[in-house]
Amino acid sequence: MAEYENTRESGDQERGGFTRRYTPKPRFCQFCSDKTVEIDYKNTALLRRFTSEEGKIRPRRQTGTCAKHQRKVAAEIKRARHIALLPFTGGTWEEKAR
Amino acid sequence: MRNYELVVIIHPDLDDEAINGALDKVKDWITKAGGSIENVDNWGKRHMAYEIQKQNEGVYFLLNTAMPPEFIAELERNLKILEPVMRYLIVAK
Repeated sequence: MAEYENTRESGDQERGGFTRRYTPKPRFCQFCSDKTVEIDYKNTALLRRFTSEEGKIRPRRQTGTCAKHQRKVAAEIKRARHIALLPFTGGTWEEKAR
Repeated sequence: MRNYELVVIIHPDLDDEAINGALDKVKDWITKAGGSIENVDNWGKRHMAYEIQKQNEGVYFLLNTAMPPEFIAELERNLKILEPVMRYLIVAK
């Protein structure tokens, strides 16, 4: 009985540690604070900041983007991918060119 | 009439004449359908993020146009057939 309670307690602690590690830093949506920036598939320098190194779209918990703008970012990244401005996967073109 | 952005990627191995020829063809289709071309932006030959048709480069053109919406389906069909065009993107603005 005591053993059982022990394991449960440690389990709770682990879960507590897990959630704490994922608590995001207080962030704000950069597109809400700066309304002049337009999210556009042609602006690859901007969109690149919202993709990981392997080309994946970065989640909101990492970038702090609000839901509305994250949808826009994701859509524009997909457009940019279609015309090969951004990679679907793998490294950037700079590496490939060399 | 709606405003559209059209990006076409043309095969890089073609000479200027063939590239302009393909572009003129696209422009011709649009004007014939009652649309207008407001601006043509030549991005030139640039590296692509991944290979298309075994090519690492492509010649990019951005066209700001106004077209009747019913014409889009036909334009897409024509662009798919047009040989020098490797990829296209039509975005309503």
